[in-house]
Amino acid sequence: MQSIGLVFNGVWSHYAMATAPKYRDIYKLIYVYDLDNEAVAGLDALVIPFQSNQQELAARKEVIYTFLKQGKKVFVEGDSTADWLDAQWEDRPVNNYWWVENPNNPPVSETNYDHPIYQGLTPRQACWHTHGVYTRIPAHAEMIQANPQGDIISWQTHHYGGTLFATTLDPIVEHGVQQITHLDNYVDRLTEWLSGVKPTPGRMTIESGVYGEGALI
Amino acid sequence: MVNALLISNNIAGLDEYYVSNELVQYTVCRITKDFDPDLTPYDLLVVPNGSDHVAMLKIKDKVRAFLDAGKALICSDGWFTDWVPGNQWVMDNSKRTIDIRYHLKTDRYGLFSDVDLNELTFSHGMSGWWACGYIRAADGADVVVEDTWQRPIIVLDEVSTNGIMLLTASGPLADVTFSGDREDALVKLYRNFLRRVQVKSRAIPVNAD
Repeated sequence: MQSIGLVFNGVWSHYAMATAPKYRDIYKLIYVYDLDNEAVAGLDALVIPFQSNQQELAARKEVIYTFLKQGKKVFVEGDSTADWLDAQWEDRPVNNYWWVENPNNPPVSETNYDHPIYQGLTPRQACWHTHGVYTRIPAHAEMIQANPQGDIISWQTHHYGGTLFATTLDPIVEHGVQQITHLDNYVDRLTEWLSGVKPTPGRMTIESGVYGEGALI
Repeated sequence: MVNALLISNNIAGLDEYYVSNELVQYTVCRITKDFDPDLTPYDLLVVPNGSDHVAMLKIKDKVRAFLDAGKALICSDGWFTDWVPGNQWVMDNSKRTIDIRYHLKTDRYGLFSDVDLNELTFSHGMSGWWACGYIRAADGADVVVEDTWQRPIIVLDEVSTNGIMLLTASGPLADVTFSGDREDALVKLYRNFLRRVQVKSRAIPVNAD
């Protein structure tokens, strides 16, 4: 049963991840223009991926906070705007090659491995690259990951009823892109934390039949 | 001057890669719930990396009519819906990125005349950074670049419609890089195609660049 709503901007990486056989019974694609209370009813969690339409999210922020008020979970990755999230995200150059050029200086230097998403992950599995930083988070939030400069990469709060988790990592987009091969570890931990359902172990596969006329939209 | 319509999914930073210049004038079309743009004033439709292919499917017939009028399309993204006439992008992760190599196949307009293909194959010594998946190309379309397994990665199609299409298997193209660089392979390839569109549309003389 699909129990996680993936707010979907028509972007292929979101689609590739959510329609992969490993995840398609767990994640429900919700086109951002269709995001309303009815669309999220009955779900346990919402995922708002990197490369989302921030304007449209701001226009529908009441849906997100009403969902949280019901004790549900919301996971936000990549960028965000203060128009709908009480935090300040700032862009930074993306370093995809730190592990080749400077492996002892990863973009995340501090991680709370007691958090259920990160339990059992190695440092490499807990950070591949970051898309910007948070220079301000709500006073009621706790830091989960930080970079060597002390900027916040991941944080969470229970202030809104359920749990709001935000990170500048981009596990959903990168897992869809499939150029980083260890992401099953992070995404499977994330999925289990969000839904209580553990995805089938092993590498994500792609089914070509859902591309083109057979697209699941 | 090529008159281009840039489709924007409101993704942060997108507009910085497509800035009007001596070769092209961009009009940005931001996707909304009621997305239904008038394509007729334009020579070229640009659908960049990170686009909304649910929205594009809604205007599939309009795109077809636009191309049949002799116009041009650049899609440098993974179009998982079937809105591109004759060609379909398919995601695939069955091949290892470490084994990916690109090969030039049919380049009738010299799109790669000053482009180092290795820049698209390798970044920081590692392969497989640029494109994802492959294209099921239309019969008769030019496969400009194929990968290690002879799968189309860049397609130039002048047979499926009366117009011209440059399609990449989600490999990003740009008119200028984030740092303002125009000497990058993905910029040079993009601008070489713009020059071809310029010739085809007879917007300005061939050598006026």
